[in-house]
Amino acid sequence: MANAKEMKEVLFAPVFANNPIALQVLGICSALAVTSSLKNALIMSIALTLVTAFSSLFISMIRNHIPSSVRIIVQMTIIASLVIVVDQTLQAFVYATAKELSVFVGLIITNCIVMGRAEAYAMKTPPLMSFIDGIGNGLGYSVVLLTVAFIRELFGKGTLFDVEILPLVSEGGFYQPMGLLILPPSSFFIIGLFIWVLRTYKKDQVEKA
Amino acid sequence: MASNNETIGKTLGVVVGLCLVCAVVVSMAAVQLRPLQQANKTQDVQRNILASAGFADVENVTETFNANIEARVVDLKTGEFVDTDPNSFDFEMTKFDAKRSIKLEKSDDLAGVQRMTTESPVYFAKNANGKVETIILPVQGYGLWGIMYGFLALDTDTKTVKAINFYKHNETPGLGGEIQNPRWVASWQEKQLPVDIVKGTAGNDVHKVDGLSGATLTSVGVDNTFKFWTSDKAFGPFLAKVREGALN
Repeated sequence: MANAKEMKEVLFAPVFANNPIALQVLGICSALAVTSSLKNALIMSIALTLVTAFSSLFISMIRNHIPSSVRIIVQMTIIASLVIVVDQTLQAFVYATAKELSVFVGLIITNCIVMGRAEAYAMKTPPLMSFIDGIGNGLGYSVVLLTVAFIRELFGKGTLFDVEILPLVSEGGFYQPMGLLILPPSSFFIIGLFIWVLRTYKKDQVEKA
Repeated sequence: MASNNETIGKTLGVVVGLCLVCAVVVSMAAVQLRPLQQANKTQDVQRNILASAGFADVENVTETFNANIEARVVDLKTGEFVDTDPNSFDFEMTKFDAKRSIKLEKSDDLAGVQRMTTESPVYFAKNANGKVETIILPVQGYGLWGIMYGFLALDTDTKTVKAINFYKHNETPGLGGEIQNPRWVASWQEKQLPVDIVKGTAGNDVHKVDGLSGATLTSVGVDNTFKFWTSDKAFGPFLAKVREGALN
């Protein structure tokens, strides 16, 4: 049975040591799209973490009964059902944010992180550890998303969680916002920089040329 | 243990069982949450109408709406009130309902909306004595990237703009997206229709508004949207009736 140390390892390794976005470069699509404000990024992170954790849990619970010929379809069905439940819940309780996130919640289904963890980890590991692994990878995704959103919202709009931090020139302040940062391509640069910083610090992540 | 998973019977069993469980979970979530979602949608529309009528950041959206706003439906061709339920309109979807909408000729379609409903809700904001003070018209038109949905609030003289409010659009953030900027929205106040959107300084001219810099096509779209919806093809006949005193 898994001991506490192993659990901690599984939970925190994906945050920096084996980050799904920075090292495995998975799940980039939504990282570009929903990071223009911290609030959206936070809700998206929570949604993805929950979906990854619970899909890993359920897939792991029935892993010994899944015929390998249809295993991807079985995984997709479980993931898709969870995503629909999350989407419906968001629409019921945080309507304004759900409207802004729109298709990106639905696209969690195709997020490679969820599928990747299901196929690579949950199919071979007992439920509890799979659940923790799902949360860990969700956290890794969240760290990148929130970092990117922090930079984009602060320097693109001068706000954090819609609270004004840097008063804009157009509102009588001193700060001229960087228009590029509001647009999705800016996340490419920020994620690139994030990977660069991470690999400077953790040299073992550098791929051999 | 894994070997007997590969038989046809087991495969079918697992797949059918899984589908049943997932179907039940998904349907339960959808059915249980439907009333809340519906309420959110209605409230969202009401909040936008209230914002156009000058009620900003209200707490009890539904109560304030019911107390201050009256919704009626007008036939756009005749400008007469009809008895259709105003809540039966969806500003995005109803124009695709063949029974309730028409296709616009290219030459008539100034706002680029392609189809429009034959009837439309209008909203009246009333003061404490029950007298109508503001007429709120739902409008939509093509900007740069897609249809922009909004409300145009007019004084009862049908010429003076009280407020504009675009609540849904796909314009570029920071450029065309500035149609939601409170300062630009405020620049519409007290303007007299027809309003032209111009480059540079509009000054105090009541028929001109400064365009958004870096968003010429969005500005043109807004211009065309208001011109179309106040024309004879849309709310023109109704506004003419209002000028003749249809409200009192």
